[in-house]
Amino acid sequence: MRTIAAVLVVVFALNATANAKSSRDDHGDAIAALAGLQSAVAEIVHIEDSYAVGRTAYRNAARRALGEVSGALDRVNHLLDQVATPPWQPAVEGTKVNLLEAQENLNDALGERELDDYRFDLTRALASLALAIGRPSQDGVLGGLSGALANTELAVPAGAVRVAGCGVPARAPAYGINAGALVYVALPRAAAAARVPANLAIRSVAVRGDEIVLYTAHAATCKLQRAHDVAAATPAMPMLYTAAQAHAGKIVYVRHCLQCHGTDLQGTAGPAVAGTDFLKTAKFDGWTLRDVRTTVFENMPFSDPGSLSAQQYADVMAFLLASSCYPAGTKPFPQSDQASFASIKLGPMSGVRATNPKNGTCAVK
Amino acid sequence: MLRFAPVLVIAGLLFLLAMPPLEGQSSWPTSSSYTNAMGNNSAWILPARTYSDNRYVPAAKLGAGATAKLRKAWSTSVDARGPLEVSPIVWQGTMYVTSSHNDVYALDAKTGAIKWHFHYVPHVIAFSANRGVALGDGRVYEATLDGHLIALNAATGKIVWNVLAAHDPRNTFFTMQPVPYKNMLLLGASNGDWGGIGYLSAFDAATGKRLWDWYTIPGPGQAGHNTWSGDSWKRGGAAIWSGIAIDPSTDTLYADLGNPQPDFLGTIRAGSNLYSDSMVALDISGAKPTMKWYHQFIPHDTHDWDPAMPPVLFTGQVGGSPRDLVAAGDKAGNFWVLDAGTGKLVYHLAVSMQRGQNTQPSKAGDIACPNTNGGVEFNGGSYLPETNFFYVPSTNQCGIWTSPGTAAYIAGQFYLGGAFPKQYGPSTGYMNAININTGKFAWRKKLAFPQIGGALALSTGVVFTGGVNGDFRAYDAKTGAVLWHYPTGLTIQAPASYYELDGKPYVVVGAGPAGVNFADPRFGQGAPTLEGTYSHPVRALITAFTTP
Repeated sequence: MRTIAAVLVVVFALNATANAKSSRDDHGDAIAALAGLQSAVAEIVHIEDSYAVGRTAYRNAARRALGEVSGALDRVNHLLDQVATPPWQPAVEGTKVNLLEAQENLNDALGERELDDYRFDLTRALASLALAIGRPSQDGVLGGLSGALANTELAVPAGAVRVAGCGVPARAPAYGINAGALVYVALPRAAAAARVPANLAIRSVAVRGDEIVLYTAHAATCKLQRAHDVAAATPAMPMLYTAAQAHAGKIVYVRHCLQCHGTDLQGTAGPAVAGTDFLKTAKFDGWTLRDVRTTVFENMPFSDPGSLSAQQYADVMAFLLASSCYPAGTKPFPQSDQASFASIKLGPMSGVRATNPKNGTCAVK
Repeated sequence: MLRFAPVLVIAGLLFLLAMPPLEGQSSWPTSSSYTNAMGNNSAWILPARTYSDNRYVPAAKLGAGATAKLRKAWSTSVDARGPLEVSPIVWQGTMYVTSSHNDVYALDAKTGAIKWHFHYVPHVIAFSANRGVALGDGRVYEATLDGHLIALNAATGKIVWNVLAAHDPRNTFFTMQPVPYKNMLLLGASNGDWGGIGYLSAFDAATGKRLWDWYTIPGPGQAGHNTWSGDSWKRGGAAIWSGIAIDPSTDTLYADLGNPQPDFLGTIRAGSNLYSDSMVALDISGAKPTMKWYHQFIPHDTHDWDPAMPPVLFTGQVGGSPRDLVAAGDKAGNFWVLDAGTGKLVYHLAVSMQRGQNTQPSKAGDIACPNTNGGVEFNGGSYLPETNFFYVPSTNQCGIWTSPGTAAYIAGQFYLGGAFPKQYGPSTGYMNAININTGKFAWRKKLAFPQIGGALALSTGVVFTGGVNGDFRAYDAKTGAVLWHYPTGLTIQAPASYYELDGKPYVVVGAGPAGVNFADPRFGQGAPTLEGTYSHPVRALITAFTTP
């Protein structure tokens, strides 16, 4: 456990910002508490493995362990002493309860006289400490303080780069966080290759050039979040035109486009320009909004390209987007090309209710 | 030599007479039926009737006098979502036609009654068009707008097999009528304005399995590759859009290859850009085609002036002597006659108004004539041995070409390096008769509208063609006098075909909406109203005419 903390601290120390350190350092408190608990465990394990027969040795060990546990409790109390309710709070509350139990066991040990009683109290303390630390498993660390450190934003050292965890991973070093959960850690490959933090709940590893990205089980929550966002639908879709503009575009369409693309926009002599056929093709061919805009503005109408005004082209784009069920917004589709158009991919959308399900189009008033 | 002379017609007729009586509907065209198609006036089983690709009918039963009395025999309505460009296939009283969106219809050739109808819903890349089916071995074969090759049961219209025949369906589709040859179906890919490379493919007619591809642009290490600068050959175009001609006696295939890409920007493809805008003669006797010769009509084209006309093989009288020839026409308004054996130019003449042909599309725009839909179009023309004249319609239009100086490839969109030209100036046409003996016009008739309907030449000295104004006409082959005409009220972009049934002659033609390329507000359905309706009904009709 100390190994993880050491690697991460070293990696992120390099990246620590020059900002004044805030009064709180939850990650630092947690790392220090964890280190103290591990020292306490080491004391108890050491004395039990030593076949010691003298009471003094046990009492000294219990006293040292008690010191470590008390120090850790101070840190844990500090962690929990805040107005906010961080996502790791339940795990740390559990840690505190188990530490109080261990503290009581150790105090009991200090009052014992029989060797078996010492052993009995120290074994109970060891069990409580194990719960306070957390249980490593093949799927990573579950529960306890180390679980909170491995699975939540408690893993992020002060000053390290925190980014939204469901996007494309940021340049290393960085922590990807989603809803307080740790989604990934991006590390410089040189640092990570030597000592990958073993107790992170790593589900998959991606290598990007000179970086390595360690994904936790929480990467799955991103997919769930995306599905939820899509189901909630339209607010997440780009709003590229106004309803009034789409109406104006309908008149342009009828005059200049309908003859080849049809009253239902499914194509007669020309291709479909809205709805299911159009959006499926857009996805298959990888069209961006810029691609379609370029075709409309520069190559249409087929018999007289470029013959419409920029306003007419923008209006007809609004009509086509509206007909493909893209939502209306408050800003009109612009007459000039926009840099953002190159990154807006067109394609079928979930959670959209077409007014004409057969063609997958939406009527424009 | 003189392989395409009328003497072959007689041989074909003799062959037919020697054949047993035609069987019932259970028999289908065979390899010899195709090879001897010239002599069978009851059928029309290849796109342009014979492998020579010449719409010529020997011993026709329709003279000039009877032509003047032609009347409508029947008219059948088909899917009207695009123009009709179909060349009907007729066999034993059944006619097979297609509509623009790949619907296939089997019609009673005598009454027009629909026997079966195959409905298909293809994705349309750019414009809808289909030029018809092939028939053989109980199957009807169609190549589609979404890059498939489909075999239907000819008796029922149900799918037998359906294969993806285009290598990249994002930028490739089919408009061409498949050509049956031996056990193969030959098919050219339409991808010449969308960033593909043209290719001719052969498929096993029984299974649809691909047998070979012949690419129209030489790759690295092949002769002619150095006619493309850099990697420009990779999206160089040279599609095979329409018909091909075959000389079965030598297994030689003739094809006209389309324009180079990007259409209007030559600076990024320096060189002559072989084999764009060329005719090629291929030996198809082996496992893969090999080139016999090529003739490039327009090196380094920057105006989409490809030789749209299918090659026509014929034996004509040149300077008083018979000679095996092959004719071509391009959208730049040229009519070309080559030696069929060598590809050497015999002569050429301009059949449309030509201006500004050495200019380049620029940011400001250049004016050149013909327009990209002008010159000689995809139905080409025909040779009539009885007059030694070649009949070919042509169009006069000019255009303003612009190019921003850059070209971007977007899958499934035009790859032009500019925009299609804005039509400028006149929009008229000619019906031309060219004296093959001299290479000069025998006669030509000026028309007030573009003319792209090809030519159907009857041995009786009658030539049929249709115009985009919807008028279907018959000319006196010797004089150009109009013998008869019929206003369809629609737009004619399809070629006419001929067959005989129960001793009577029939002439059939498709007419429909104007489509993307040949919309003319003066004709057909006109422009849509603000409500999205038209002043005239939008229809597509197959109409057959016969004598009383």
